[in-house]
Formats: sequence, structure tokens, C-alpha cells
Amino acid sequence: MTSQSPVIEELLDGSYEYGFSTDLDTDIAPPGLNEDVVRLISAKKGEPEWLLEWRLKAFAAWQAMDEPDWAKLDIEPIDYQSISYWAAPKPKPTLDSMDDVDPEIREMFDKLGIPLHEQKMLSNVAIDAVVDSVSVTTTFKATLAEAGVIFCSFSEAVREHPDLVREHLGSVVPFRDNYFAALNSAVFSDGSFCYIPTGVRCPMELSTYFRINSQNTGQFERTLIVAEDDSYVSYLEGCTAPMRDENQLHAAVVELVAKDRATIKYSTVQNWYPGDDNGVGGIYNFVTKRGRAHTDAKISWTQVETGSAITWKYPSVILQGDRSVGEFYSVALSNKRQQADTGTKMVHIGADTSSTVISKGISAGHGRNTYRGLVKMLRSADNARNYTQCDSLLIGKECAANTIPYIEVKNPTGQVEHEASTSTVGEDQLYYCRQRGMTEEDAMAMIVNGFCREVFGELPMEFAVEAQRLLSVSLEGSVG
Amino acid sequence: MLHVENLTVSIGDKRILRGLDLDVRPGEVHAIMGPNGSGKSTFAHALAGREGYDVGGTATLDGADLLEMEPEERAAAGVFMGFQYPVEIPGVNNMYFLRTALNSVRQARGEDEVSAREFLEVAKRAMQLVDMNPDFLQRSVNAGFSGGEKKRNEILQMAVMEPRLAVLDETDSGLDIDALKVVASGVHALRGPERSMVVITHYQRLLEYITPDFVHVLVDGRIVESGDSSLALHLDDHGYAQFLAVAPGDEQRSLAATRS
Amino acid sequence: MTTDSLTSNVVLPTKRDEAWRYAPHRTLAELSFGPPNGSIASVPAGLLDDIPVLDGLCVVVVNGIVDVGRSRLHSLVRGVTVSSRAAALATDRAASTPGDETPSPTDAYVVLNAAYGVDGALIEIEPGVVLDEPIHVVDISIPDHLGGASCARTHIHLGAGSSATVVETRISAGSGFGGSNVCTLVSLDDGAELEHVVLQDLPSSQVHLGRVEVDQATRSTFRARSFNTGGAYGRLEYHVVLRGPEASADLAGLYLGSGEQVLDQQVTVVHAAENCVSRQAFRGVLDDESTGVFNGGIDVRPGADGTDASQSNDNLLLSVRAEANTQPRLEILADEVSCTHGATVGRLDDDALYYLRSRGVRAEGARRLLIDGFANQIVEQVGAGPVRAWISHRLGYRDDG
Repeated sequence: MTSQSPVIEELLDGSYEYGFSTDLDTDIAPPGLNEDVVRLISAKKGEPEWLLEWRLKAFAAWQAMDEPDWAKLDIEPIDYQSISYWAAPKPKPTLDSMDDVDPEIREMFDKLGIPLHEQKMLSNVAIDAVVDSVSVTTTFKATLAEAGVIFCSFSEAVREHPDLVREHLGSVVPFRDNYFAALNSAVFSDGSFCYIPTGVRCPMELSTYFRINSQNTGQFERTLIVAEDDSYVSYLEGCTAPMRDENQLHAAVVELVAKDRATIKYSTVQNWYPGDDNGVGGIYNFVTKRGRAHTDAKISWTQVETGSAITWKYPSVILQGDRSVGEFYSVALSNKRQQADTGTKMVHIGADTSSTVISKGISAGHGRNTYRGLVKMLRSADNARNYTQCDSLLIGKECAANTIPYIEVKNPTGQVEHEASTSTVGEDQLYYCRQRGMTEEDAMAMIVNGFCREVFGELPMEFAVEAQRLLSVSLEGSVG
Repeated sequence: MLHVENLTVSIGDKRILRGLDLDVRPGEVHAIMGPNGSGKSTFAHALAGREGYDVGGTATLDGADLLEMEPEERAAAGVFMGFQYPVEIPGVNNMYFLRTALNSVRQARGEDEVSAREFLEVAKRAMQLVDMNPDFLQRSVNAGFSGGEKKRNEILQMAVMEPRLAVLDETDSGLDIDALKVVASGVHALRGPERSMVVITHYQRLLEYITPDFVHVLVDGRIVESGDSSLALHLDDHGYAQFLAVAPGDEQRSLAATRS
Repeated sequence: MTTDSLTSNVVLPTKRDEAWRYAPHRTLAELSFGPPNGSIASVPAGLLDDIPVLDGLCVVVVNGIVDVGRSRLHSLVRGVTVSSRAAALATDRAASTPGDETPSPTDAYVVLNAAYGVDGALIEIEPGVVLDEPIHVVDISIPDHLGGASCARTHIHLGAGSSATVVETRISAGSGFGGSNVCTLVSLDDGAELEHVVLQDLPSSQVHLGRVEVDQATRSTFRARSFNTGGAYGRLEYHVVLRGPEASADLAGLYLGSGEQVLDQQVTVVHAAENCVSRQAFRGVLDDESTGVFNGGIDVRPGADGTDASQSNDNLLLSVRAEANTQPRLEILADEVSCTHGATVGRLDDDALYYLRSRGVRAEGARRLLIDGFANQIVEQVGAGPVRAWISHRLGYRDDG
């Protein structure tokens, strides 16, 4: 990222640069949710009977559930009947090669800075692009296939690898897990599927790029990653949406399965539209992310959350196998009227399991930032270890930072350490930087980036640069 | 070069500087000495542009009105301030900080940014000047630094920024004699015909290593005495008592102190 | 005691209430509440002998009624009033009784206490009075075989610039089911200084619910030292409001669990004014199948700039079936604050054990030494020397202070 980039000019006024919408010919279901809609989605996708049944069970479970109690969130009630649960860019009959991708979609992704054409692409990142609810293309399939890696849309996986999907779908996040997981299980339309065979180190970064485009739709994608014994994969996820005055719902589910000695690194840069200065519009981002780590496996979540009006997500790790490792590195920024309630759950079941939680919350404007986390060590978790560090940074007088960790230890050999601090960006820090010639905005960005350094260090290079830039942009207007 | 005339500073209801005059020509080193609370640091911050000061009078650098400028504009104009208490910025790498600072200033002056490699060369030279370990650049700005390290870091920054006017605020405070020597030799090496310095200090100690062209005594917000470097020695021997407002009855004692 | 309509009408908290997440709700539901029956129950001989009498003023409360006969209410120091709240109400001193109007989050047990807590200790220290000797309030609940929980209500008011130490001991007799539900309302005027010590040592068949509400004016100081050791469920709750600038609250507590005890500390310190300081330091030692709970909050209200707050919770698990649940919360709505919290759960340090044993200390002795060292760091924070010595003795620790 160089400062010559013309995009920067646009950024400096602090606007949301991804706020355009593209006129795609879209196949959209009428708003509302009932069993017929669930059947319609399943039929549109030509799904097998078992999947329809699973969806219907999830739908029944969802109907019996109460919406979560919003604790620290101020939220307008969501009318689930006013949302359209199926919207897809009308596809050409088949998508055999990249040239078949609708030029308008390609153009949209070019605008986002994500060329889908393999020649133009960042080397070594394979991309699955999901618009509204449907995967429009996956790049580098051939290269991946050589290594035996399956990386495709969820729908394609259901068609081509039904046994793998059936075995693992819902195995980490059962549809009864929570309100939004149940909703997602009933109506999910697409998402990414990724399978790394035994002993394979995935030759490139895998990336899914999510885009909500249509109005009045919800996005309910589902990601499933299965890493067999001794395999390794690094997966990136990016999200944007147009600026719209109404709130849009995004309720995704991500399941990770790391078999013995496998490693899954999952990174997210979430930049859904946050709404305007008065809190009008923006994405409601309710996501369930969880991984199961078997013996000696490692699951690492890294997230940079700068977008969405409301973020509600707790990427978690079930440390089932002995010596398994869970990590959570998070930067969450709430500016304007944004509210973020995020954190992690580390459930230690196996012996000698260890987890690390590093959370950096930044509150500016009228933003509200809550870290909510659970570290649980069961009786079986001999010699389990956890280290948690939660730091909050406040910028301005109208924002709020909350830290709500739950620590439950049922094994005396467990060791838990939790540290937290809250600080403000000091006037003296800004003055010092300005005396050395930096503008107030640059100084602020530098100080905040310094605060987040440990987390950015966990991101793959391209994403780290992107994340720092996003943070600076999201902070525009928070000084002075 | 630096022209200060009838400079006044109030903070809230409190008047700190009450009409300070000072002229510094290119290449000169001026020392400003004075007792605690006389307004020495306030003067430095008034030149650097700290917020919350109510400033009156004139301060120009090469004819440009400093008082109208934001702190970063003053830095770009060539003002460097060595802080008495350098600020800690956790997580921000020293080298990155310094390069950003240098490039900000260069950008403001319409100059090209320095590349990472060029910068490393500049930084290396500066490091030798203050006798610092290379791993120093990789640490967070001032975080966890000892008092001496912080001060050396200030001089290092000065060497990299190559300012027109350096204002060093009590750079000698909190230093042991070895650190003082290192800092002083750094300052000495940075003296040049086009660079002026204002060295603020409470003690004469630092001035043994940096011989100033002029020494000014600041008391109660005004310069009450100016002279050459011998004035510093005199002050060291006799203290500031002779310049302080003398309360009735204390006269005898303060006179005695001056004579002894 | 009988259950009347109020008991059946209040809605008891459930596991979904954050502050009651780890409480044994089934056991709690067995408790019954009602007005005190008016007569002083007979206190089993020897019960009070267990409490080495602290010389000086004391208020003995039996099943929610002040037992004037057993109390020592007459103060030799001018400006110090120690009496029964009910008696004071009767003589219309109630007008100056502070605390009743303190608004704070309430739950069913606070409501029940307010309804049935007609008596209890009333402690008034007039402005400027500095009282060196501690005032002791002993709350005794005698089980009635109906699961009754006694409800006493203590009021402590310190005038401007005064200073005092109040020790509250909560005990019971017998092995029947029952318990006590005690509220203490503290208000501190400008510059007042109170050290408040609570020792909760009910039998393990009973339940204790204790709540301390503190309202602090400018530059006042509140020091809480809590020792939560008794009851099947022992709960000590602090709700401290720093209402005046530069007030300071320093809370330290120790909970020692064994058997199947659940010992619950619920602490909230509200910073509602500028430049206040608060400290929370709680430690748990949990043996057998006991469970320790610490839910500590720092709430920094808008405008409470210059807040300096810290919190720590450290737990030692001594047995494979012991459990520690800790929830150190921060809620910050102000700028220019410095808040830190930390929590640890662990076991005895193997290296330290080994070190001690290599110096010839037997394994059990080494264990004891380390546990005592861990716990003593709270005990030694009791400022009043005789109180510290007594607590130390009562808990079976050495008093190094």
C-alpha cells in the first residue's frame, strides 16, 4: 500500500469506500420466512433430501428459540419476516472458466481491489467470491487440486463431496447451538468449503471474499474447513457491503475441524458497512465461529473488526485433543455509533491444552466495545494453560469500553492468567508525535496501530497492511 | 533567526512568562538557566506549540510566525524540541516512528521521502553519535527506557531530523555523568553554522560540555540577566538567590549567600 | 418464622442473572422469610464464647433482633452512638437514619431484607470523632427447623472527618437448615474513614446472604476486609458508590472453601465522581469440592475522569474437584481513566514446594506454609491490630502483622 494510491485521496474524507452497489440481475425471493422458504432455498440449490431435512429440523429449532438477550447492545428489534432469505446474482448457465464470470461481477470485485482473474491476482492467494448469498467464482482451483486440496463453494461441495459435507456439517456448531446458528442452518445459501487431505500443507492462502449487494436481504453463508491429520491451511476472509439506510442482517456460521496435528489459521478482516454518523443503516453482524482441535492440533483465529453497526461474534476453540492449542487475536474498533460485542470461548477438555487470547478493543466517537470471553477448564483438562490479555483504548468522551471475561476452572492443575487494562490516547503522546512533524491524524493512527501491533503481527502480510489502513480510515474524524 | 519579543504565556489564570525577549542568530547556542518554576519549560513548549497555552507577543523563525503554526508545522519549519519527559508510546517501533516523523517533515517541505535503506544509513550514523545499541531501534518509543536511554533517544531523533532550531528542555536532568557525557558530545557534534540551539537547564553541569555563546537567567517569567558562558559559572557558585524577589528581612541572608 | 405472601410473591433470581450465575438455586429456594417473631431466641450456651470478645462496644443481633442484654451499647466516647435500630426508630431518631433511600440494583433478597429487617445495629459517629476501638456487630441466626433466614439490617453513618472500625461477625448455631440475609448500609460524609471487616462463618448446613451498600462523599475512605468461610452457600456482596470526588474504596477479601461449599463474592464499585481511587483484591483458597466465585465490576460513569481503579482475583485450587469461577468486569464510560484488572487460577507452585522440602520442611507443612502465605496477604491488610490478630487466630493462621 503506497500513499500514491488514488484510493487514499478518497479515504481521507473518512467515507466508506466500499459503499457502492452494483446493478446485477438478481434472483430474489420475496421477504419472509416459513418452511416453504426453507424448501425453496433447498430446491433452488438442488440439494439432497438429507440436507433439506437437516434445514427443516434447524428451522423448527429456531422457531422454538428466544432471541438472545442483548446485554450491552442497543438494538432495534429485527423483523425476521421482512428479510429476503434468498438473493443470488442470476448466473449464466455454467461457470466452467473465469471468463464465464459475469463482467459486472468481475468489475465489482475489481472496484473492491480483488481481481478475480488469475493472471492479475495476488500470487499465492486463492479466492472464493461470494455475492449476496452465492459463490460466484473460485480461483486457482487447478493448482489446489494438484495438491489434493478441495476449495469450492458450499453448494458445489454438497454436489461433489456429499460425504465429506454430511460428516462434518454441524459437527462443531450444531444447529441448536444458538438463535443465529439455527437461523443460518435453516436458510444458509452458500459459502466456502475447504478440505486439506492428510499430510498436505496447502500451497497457498485460501481466501473468501463476501459481499452483500442486494437490498433487504440477509446474508447467511456457511464455511466449513476440514484439515485432516498433519495438514496445514491458512484461510482469509474479507467482507464489505454497500451503504444503505436500513440495517442488513448477516448471520454466518464457520466450522473448523482440525484433526490430529493439523493447523488451521483463520483470519478475518471485517469491514461491513458500519452505518452513518447518526447510526442509520449498517450491517448487523451475528456470527458463530467455532473450531474443534483434536490431538496436537492448533486452531488460530485472528480478526480485525472495523465494520458493521453491530458485531456479535465469539470465535471459539474446543480444545478436545490432548496438547491441542487455541489462539484468538482480535482488534475490534467501534467508532460513530458502532457497537461491538466480541470475544472468544476457549473450552479446555484435553490434557496439556493451551490457549492464548489477545484482545484489543478501541472505542471512539459514540462507539461501544465489549470484550466477552469464556475460558473453561473441565475436570479432564490436566495441566491446561490459558493466558488472556484484554486491552481497551478509549478515544474521546462519549465512547464506552467493557470487559466481561468468564473464567471457570474445574481442574486444580489448570493455570489461568487474565490481564486487562484500559487506557486513553494521551494528549502528550499526540503532542510528542506532532512536535516531530506528524499530523494529528497520522499520530493517532500510529498510536492505535502500535496498540494493535501484537494482533496485526498474526495476520498474513497483505492482510496486515490492509488492516492497518482500514483502522486509520475507520478512525477518521475521531480526533480533534 | 529566532526572534522572540515580549512573549507572554498564561495557563488558565496563571501567568508564567511575563514578556520574554530573545534573539538567536544562526549557529549560536544559548543557554537558559533559572530556578524551578521560573518558566523555562513553558518557554520551550511555547516555541514547540503545546496546546492549552494562552500565548501573546512574537516568536518568529526565519521571519515565519511560529505562534500561528500547529506543532507539526513548527517541526516542518525546523523546530525540534528535546523533551524533559519524553513520552512513551507502547507498541510503536522506534525506527518506524522516526522514519514517519522524518518523512512527514520532508513531505511538508515538498521534499522526497527517504527510502527504508537511506533511512537506515541515517539512523545508523545517528546511533553511533549517541552510542546506542542497534536493537534500540526495534523497541517501542521510549517504553520501558531508562531515563538515560530516553534522553539519548531525544538526541538521536535530533540527529536524524536535522533541525534548524533545537530546543533542549532539561536534557541533562536525571542523567548520570557518563550518560551526560554521551548526550553532551552528541549535542556538540550537531552544532553547525546553520543550526541554532536553545539549551534549557537548571545546573551548569551540562554547560561544561556544551559551551554556550550566551547564557540567560530566567526568573519569574522574564530574562533578568544575560552574559557569556562565565555567567553560568557564577550562577553555579552563587545560586539564583540574588535574582529572586527578596522578601523584607531576608535581605541580609541572601546577601550573605551571595558573598560566601 | 413463617413464609408469608411476600416471600411467595418476589421473583427469585435464576442462573440467568449474571450476579447469581453460580448460586445453588434449589437450596436458595428452600429458604423461608418472615418478620422476626418478636422474642429473643435462646442462644446456645458457649456459642458466644467461641468469639473472643473484642473489648469495647458490641451489638449482638439474634434472629434479626438486637439482644440488648448481650450487647454493650454504652460508649464512653462522646459523639459515638451504638444502638438498636428498632429502638432508635421508636425514639424517633430514625429521621437521621441514613441509607434506606440508597438506590442501587436490587434483587429478591434485598427486597426481603428491607421488608423484614426491622432491627439491627445502628452506628452513628459524629463529625470529627476518631474512634480507635473497634465496634463489633455479631449476627446470630438460630435455625427454626423451617428453613428460616433471619433478616437484620445494619446502618453505619460516619460524619465528616470522623473515623471508625466496625467488625461484623455472622454466625449460627446447630446443624439445621436456615441462615441469614443481612444488609449493611454505610454512608460516609466528607473525609470520613471507615474500616469495615466482615467474618462470615455459618455452619456448612446453612446459607448466608450478605450485602454491603456504601455511599461515599468527597475524600472519604472505605476499607472493606471480608472473610467468607462458612455456609453451604456463603455470599458477600459489595455495592460501593464513589459519589464525591477524590473518594477512595479499598476492598480486600479472602474466601476459604472446603466440602461442597459455594462461596460467592459479588463486588461492584461505581466511580460516579472525578479523581476517585478504588482497589479490589480478592483471593480464594478452594479445597475438596468447593466452588469459589468472584464477580467483580468496575463501573466508570460518564464524567468520572481521573478514575484510578484496579482489581485482582487470585485463586488456589487445592483439590481435583474444586472449582473457581471468576469474572472481573470493567465498564468504562469516561475518558482519562486508568483501570486494570487481573485474575489467576492455579495450584500451589511445585517449585516452591520443592524448594521448601529441600530445606527440610515436610510436604504437608510446606503446603500449609504456602497456603498460609497466599491467604495471609489478605489477612494482613486488616488495619486494626487486635481485629487482625483475632481473624488470624480464627482462621488458624499466624499473625505476622
